[in-house]
Amino acid sequence: MSKLCTLWQREIAAYFLSPIAYLVMVSFLVLNGVGFWMLVMAFDGRTNDVSVMQIFFGSFFYWIGMLMAVPVITMRLFAEEKRLGTIETLMTAPVSDVVVVWSKFLGAATFFALLWMPTLSYSWLLNQFAAAPTPIDWGPVVMAYIGTMLVGFFYVSLGLMASSLTQNQIIAAIIGFVLIAIMFFLGFMINIGPAWLQSFFGYIGSIDHVRDFSRGQLDLRRVILYISATVFVLFCTQKIVESRKWR
Amino acid sequence: MIAVENLTKRYAGVTAVDNLSFTVKRGEIVGFLGPNGAGKSTTMRILSAFMPATSGKATVAGYDVFTQSEEVRRRIGYMPENNPLYLEMRVSEYLNYRAALKGVPSSKRKARTDEVLERCGLKDVGRRIVGQLSKGYRQRVGLADSLVHDPDLLILDEPTIGLDPNQIRQVRQLIKDLGKRHTILLSTHILPEVEMTCSRVMIINKGKVVASDTPENLTKLIEGGGTVRAEIRGDRATIERELGALPGVKNVTIEAGNDGFVCATVFAPPRNDVRVHIYEKAAANKWTLRELSRVRQTLEDVFVSITRVEAPASKQEEEK
Repeated sequence: MSKLCTLWQREIAAYFLSPIAYLVMVSFLVLNGVGFWMLVMAFDGRTNDVSVMQIFFGSFFYWIGMLMAVPVITMRLFAEEKRLGTIETLMTAPVSDVVVVWSKFLGAATFFALLWMPTLSYSWLLNQFAAAPTPIDWGPVVMAYIGTMLVGFFYVSLGLMASSLTQNQIIAAIIGFVLIAIMFFLGFMINIGPAWLQSFFGYIGSIDHVRDFSRGQLDLRRVILYISATVFVLFCTQKIVESRKWR
Repeated sequence: MIAVENLTKRYAGVTAVDNLSFTVKRGEIVGFLGPNGAGKSTTMRILSAFMPATSGKATVAGYDVFTQSEEVRRRIGYMPENNPLYLEMRVSEYLNYRAALKGVPSSKRKARTDEVLERCGLKDVGRRIVGQLSKGYRQRVGLADSLVHDPDLLILDEPTIGLDPNQIRQVRQLIKDLGKRHTILLSTHILPEVEMTCSRVMIINKGKVVASDTPENLTKLIEGGGTVRAEIRGDRATIERELGALPGVKNVTIEAGNDGFVCATVFAPPRNDVRVHIYEKAAANKWTLRELSRVRQTLEDVFVSITRVEAPASKQEEEK
């Protein structure tokens, strides 16, 4: 457990010791900030039956941020260690592969969560500066963040797996992006193919899930889906890391 | 400390290590030599539990490297080839992280880190970023990392590669000092280094041990172990004939010097000292003898003769 903590700290430190962290953070904030601002402008002076925040989660800018940021966060995790050769010093230290995989996942997941921190101010800003302040319904906002984290962590695990496959960070980012994009676009495939396939795509496509979460629905099936999918992908990653032993 | 039995490692189609067996006793400094691709790094990676062998058994400190790999990893300090480090971290930060990872309790971590900083001559650069250090310093950081949890066994894969002569000398001295407390297995291409630091040399070629002995015995092994060089003033043809007739002498080559002296190289088998005979011969013939010395065979000669052609090596094994 203490080793998991040591490795986790090192992973987070590694983000802030490289320029990538700051680049991702700034781009992500600009993107979401612009998206938020455009939504506020569009809603200005009109009465609506949905809140700005509800539209914000699930908007174009939101998804671009999710799809682009995660592969960039995760690409270096294993690929960089392999390229530098530090994978050897890491794996010959007395730590198990499971601990290494989970610490890398937790490090990236923590950074992903940190990315979203500044957006917490959006609800407060709306409340503070709207011409006719309406009390915020915190339920859907909290649910939207929970949903974002669940989906985001799953994407992080996919990106981590992609990174364990190669020693080239660019390739890791591309594979990660493709895997994540597939999970995202499955949500659009609900009109294609036989009925059972349509409903299957409907179940696993991310786009509807985030929308439902942002409406304040806590669907336990989806929570379990994302947690178990994340654990499964991490398990696969661990097997890929172990594969050096039997290849 | 290390026991390797019939270790074999095959990569897709290539046998990197072929039925290798050897032991290393506690307190030894063993130099691991061999041409590129001989299987040195592969063997070291197997011993450090980075990857398993295809077949065979290896134990470190009594623990099996495959089944009890965490126990093994706790007891070894491994420095891989090319010394990979996290370049963005500070030296003391990195060592502290590595100490934590290797299970040094937090109460002792500071003391351990300070000790290895001191021993490896890194005290002044503790606050510097690894990526900004010169290669020599980085190498020491790698060594410090392998030492930080005070392991019983150090496995160092080419610790002096890419260093300048001064740095090599420093690292060599460091390894010598470390040998007083740790068992060391190190691989290198720099042969004088092995002669100076190691108590035993193991030469492997094509995945097999072809020679294993002290550096002194190894240099005696190869042909030419009893070669003597003499500088004599006298008639060239007479010298060649007379010296060639000495007991035990196999062959004599003569080079003429530019000042009336000739330089004779007398080849005799090892343990057959012909120097006395040469002196007596010179005295009898009233030659002026300016130099009489044994040509010291370097480990380099041994290395080349053993690894280039394998046949002479096995012949010498029989002689031994």
